[in-house]
Amino acid sequence: MEGSAHHHRIGVDIGGTFTDLVVFDDVTGSFAVGKTLTTPGDPSRAVEALVVETLKREGIAAREARQLIHGTTLVTNAIIERTGSRTALLATQGFRDSIEIGRENRYELYDLMLEMPQPLVPRYLRFGAPQRTLSGGTTLSELDGAFVEQLTRELVANGIEAVAIAFLHSFSNPTAEREARAIIQRIAPHMRVAISSEVVPEIREFERTSTTIANVYVQERVEKYLRELQARLERIGFSGSLFLMISSGGIVTVDTAVRFPVRLLESGPAGGALAAASYGAACGYSDLLSFDMGGTTAKFCIIDHGQPLIAHEFEVDRRYRLKKGSGLPIKLSVIEMIEIGAGGGSIARIDALGLLKVGPESAGAEPGPVCYGNGGSEPTVTDADLVLGYLDPDYFLGGQFKIDLAAARRAILERIAKPSGLSLEEAAWGIHQVVNESMANAARIHTLERGKDPHRFPVFAFGGAGPVHGYRIAKALGSPALIVPFGAGVMSAVGFLTAPLAFDFVRSWPGRIDAMHWQKANALLDEMEAEGEALLAQSGVLPAHIRHRRVADIRYAGQGHEIQAPLPGGRLNGDSIPAILRSFEETYRRLYERLSESVPVEILNWRVISSSPAPQVRLQAAGVEPAVVSAAYKGSRRAYFPELGGYAETPVYDRYGLLPGTSLSGPAIIEERESTVIVGQDCRFHIDEQLNVIVEL
Amino acid sequence: MTDTLDPITLEVLWNRLLSVVNEQQVTLMRTAFSTVVRESQDLACGVFDTRGSMIAQSLTGTPGHINAMATGVRHFLRAYPAETLQPGDVLITNDPWQTAGQINDMTILTPVFKDTRLVAYFASTCHAPDIGGRIFSGEAREVYEEGLRIPITKLFIRDEPNAELFKIIRANVRTPNETIGDLYAQTSSNAVGARELLHFMSEFALDSIDPLADEIIMRSERAMRAAIRALPNGRYENESWSDGYDEPIHIKVAVTVEDEDLFIDFAGSSPQSSRGINVVLNYTHAYASFAIKAAVSPDVPHNEGAFRPVHVTAPPGSILNCLEPAAVASRHLIGHFLPGVIFGALAPAMPGKLIACGADPIWISVLHGKWPGSQESFTFSLFQCGGTGARAIKDGLNSTGFPSGVAGVPAEIVESLTPLVQYRRELRTDSGGAGTFRGGLGQWTEIGSPGNAAWGISALVDRTHFPANGLEGGGYGAAGEYLVNKSIRPQPKALFSVAPGDRVQLNPAGGGGYGDPFQRAVEMVLRDVVNGYVSLEAPEREYGVVIRYLGSADQLVRPPELYALDEAATLALRGQRPSGSEI
Repeated sequence: MEGSAHHHRIGVDIGGTFTDLVVFDDVTGSFAVGKTLTTPGDPSRAVEALVVETLKREGIAAREARQLIHGTTLVTNAIIERTGSRTALLATQGFRDSIEIGRENRYELYDLMLEMPQPLVPRYLRFGAPQRTLSGGTTLSELDGAFVEQLTRELVANGIEAVAIAFLHSFSNPTAEREARAIIQRIAPHMRVAISSEVVPEIREFERTSTTIANVYVQERVEKYLRELQARLERIGFSGSLFLMISSGGIVTVDTAVRFPVRLLESGPAGGALAAASYGAACGYSDLLSFDMGGTTAKFCIIDHGQPLIAHEFEVDRRYRLKKGSGLPIKLSVIEMIEIGAGGGSIARIDALGLLKVGPESAGAEPGPVCYGNGGSEPTVTDADLVLGYLDPDYFLGGQFKIDLAAARRAILERIAKPSGLSLEEAAWGIHQVVNESMANAARIHTLERGKDPHRFPVFAFGGAGPVHGYRIAKALGSPALIVPFGAGVMSAVGFLTAPLAFDFVRSWPGRIDAMHWQKANALLDEMEAEGEALLAQSGVLPAHIRHRRVADIRYAGQGHEIQAPLPGGRLNGDSIPAILRSFEETYRRLYERLSESVPVEILNWRVISSSPAPQVRLQAAGVEPAVVSAAYKGSRRAYFPELGGYAETPVYDRYGLLPGTSLSGPAIIEERESTVIVGQDCRFHIDEQLNVIVEL
Repeated sequence: MTDTLDPITLEVLWNRLLSVVNEQQVTLMRTAFSTVVRESQDLACGVFDTRGSMIAQSLTGTPGHINAMATGVRHFLRAYPAETLQPGDVLITNDPWQTAGQINDMTILTPVFKDTRLVAYFASTCHAPDIGGRIFSGEAREVYEEGLRIPITKLFIRDEPNAELFKIIRANVRTPNETIGDLYAQTSSNAVGARELLHFMSEFALDSIDPLADEIIMRSERAMRAAIRALPNGRYENESWSDGYDEPIHIKVAVTVEDEDLFIDFAGSSPQSSRGINVVLNYTHAYASFAIKAAVSPDVPHNEGAFRPVHVTAPPGSILNCLEPAAVASRHLIGHFLPGVIFGALAPAMPGKLIACGADPIWISVLHGKWPGSQESFTFSLFQCGGTGARAIKDGLNSTGFPSGVAGVPAEIVESLTPLVQYRRELRTDSGGAGTFRGGLGQWTEIGSPGNAAWGISALVDRTHFPANGLEGGGYGAAGEYLVNKSIRPQPKALFSVAPGDRVQLNPAGGGGYGDPFQRAVEMVLRDVVNGYVSLEAPEREYGVVIRYLGSADQLVRPPELYALDEAATLALRGQRPSGSEI
């Protein structure tokens, strides 16, 4: 067990603009927060500076910290900015274009000028190797080793740094991919090579190839960065473990992250969803809708029975209004979210039909909303929130940052109010209302698509703008409650600390369950569990604490898409069929209501998730003196509530002074440094033991 | 109506209505049985006011369904006026002439009652897995061979299933559970739409949605009319050819812009065919109005207002307005040509805005046979797309469906569901029509059986005789190729039996080019050659650009540095011809 000095854990989230840090004391529950500007050239510099500064401020020595868990947008950025390695593709002869042919359909019906996503490997670096494996893994023709040798020599001579190998049906039989890799590595020991049967051993060549390329494309950058970060942390005396948050909400070691860097995609948002799950559980809500609204987008994630929903495919670098189909497909487990182009920076305008539209265009961080005074001229959601009195021009980011209310009013008046014949207030309220409606509509569809009833889910709001809009979103969805956590501005970093150490594995071995090769299936499951056990042991988890979950990708034979159903433990054999069917039918009915009659069932993929127990994280505000409500009351200001006839004097509370047990009525404004909570006039709210603001609707 | 709705309230209500139809669609996709619905989203959902005007449609779907459903609802209301409907009634038809032009396409209409008053209708259309008759092909001579035809009838009467009708359907189809299961799925998705609409009406205290519908339709119509007004008045003509079944089919169009109305007439097109490639007027209307929408106002929301200024006609008895009992199963092979033909006509009126013809019809090949060493048979529908036409400001898209929205199939899926092997699926070099902007590339694909069993293919392919035209001086795309052993050319819309060891090549067409190829930027030609979209030899002939390869013949890796532009030769070639002259 860890000594008493080693009860601090650190979460660090690198975002596009800010790097956030949370230091958490596992024993006392007290925590400290740090925030600094991201250093894009070498992001590890900001991390080091922030760790040093925050630990110093809190009087904690670096060597006392047991763990640092880290999430980063590095991989996403490398792909969006196309700054990865010069990468070649080696596919099966005749199939080098799978990444460009894609799915052959358009993601948008009417736009004649739409663009398809550009593959990371240009066509002149895609090659077809003479070899062929058939469905089921039999070999039709062997790999032509001489071809691979010649190709490797030429790639080296041309300065190519990385190769993705993706042969047809390699998920059933990886031999040819491994042979090709061995040849490349013999001739070019420094070449980075990824094989699809290791990165994502699943059927469908387009998605598998695209994922394998992305993995090797970003590998060098990720490795360099992580080694640099390790060195910096060592230098400042940190001797604990460094883990990385991954897209599925688990955490992995640096070595695993370097082997499979593509898993680091979407790690920041994953942290937010984990925080929602963990906080929700603590305040008695195991089903939640997590709502994270930042500067350019808003994300919703369903927390179901205490767990975020997991998807097994997503897209990176969506080029067209975040539309599905306009990005590069990445096939791996990811916390499922719907992302829409609505954030504080979303631009409002009157369209050709004379309607008020908000987003998806965003003023971003540069120039930003009009009120930032950085040259933005088009009114945004933040400008409207300011005009409505929801934000305090003198207490933006705790007062560090001055904003220009007059400029925001002018922009809304000129661009929105005048052209549509509305008053300034009506126009600002319109922007607020329209952006809320579009977010609520997206959330409603998303929850329905997952077979959930949106009226049942409390909303858990965080991110810079989430707490401002959470109340209206929750009302529009008919939610029973709104929960705004303490530290809403750094929730992703908090979420990292709630993650269990987990590894997930997948193997493809398709077969109908009435004709399954059970010995093979057991061998695959054993193999994955052994791998998980070894990796967890390396990370210091005791064998007794390790849990394995087995899941099958399963469907009615002949269907095109699978669902994930839990598998029973122990040896599988013919007697396990009824239990597997039961699990399948339960999941199927939950998703699709109706079972299909007398159709055989087949399993495509076998999955194992090996994990350690999830740590419990409850934030306690350190150093807050017991106080009465009057201490938290900062005064009042005029804020817009149409139900009260327009602007109304609204009490303003200091979040840091509101203690557990406090119960008050809306309307109210609750301010903390990184965010502001708006509560409407028709409800009560209270502060719970975890310092959450709970609004009962 | 008076302008009582301010722009914000209207935006909120309108969005909510869109959200309601999307909930309807989500329910349909989640509960449907057929994979065509669930995966390819070959479906449409919509909400209509009490007069049968479409107010909103779901976001995805195919033009052939969405627009045909919109006109189809009028036929429903003529057959069953409001006073003949009661709460709990649900109507059905698959009559090709009333709805989507194909007997597999089922349309279900549900009236919505608030208390006792009829306030709206929800409709959905999707492709049934089977409806009896022949298996999907172009071979039928009359619609009667194509399956069970259901006139507009009540499927449910006051919430009770019409048991007699269900009995008849069950007895006539190969997949009774799936076909009937999908009808239930459509019914419940309409019911979910209705429930959400009523919820929305009470939340916003609306007694009727007709005033909201008027406002939505009026604004959309106004925007559509403004877009049409931007076009110069005039009559614009164009024509095109499809391979047809036994003989080529001529498609002729005249588009007349008259202030803010647009008339599309197909007079002069071929008479209806004796085989199953005929198009009903509803479907003609669907693709013609899709083309106009995409061309002039892609951003205007799609509803009745967007249709009103567009008037579509075709002579009765012609291929685009076929009369009973014409066979219609493969109507998409002709229908998918329409947007390209219309763009070609409108091109002079909209310089710099449109796209050249592409491969157009999606290729559907039904592969069937027996698994080796077993009596178990397999049947698999392979969808394939060629290249789209070049755009006025960009190249065409490679191997991407247009105007259809249906997806292709991975080789690994084909091979796991059949004993066949796909030997190739690669972009087709030089298939994109030359132009200032190049047409999208088609594909080379090859399929065979590695074993010693015979198998069969029913290919529904087109553009094998008539390549895609370019626009504004752009060249033709390569024609499609349907070959056996790279030499035999089977009849492209009938069943063909493949001998063991033989290989079938299915190479969908490339798209036409846009603009004079000699005006194409030299760097773009060079980039195309480096990447093998265009061969080393072609540019001299097609683009007046001479490129030399500096590497050795056996070299595998050929980066851009190994190619050089022969500037003198290029200048000589390009200089010979003034820009904009004939190719």
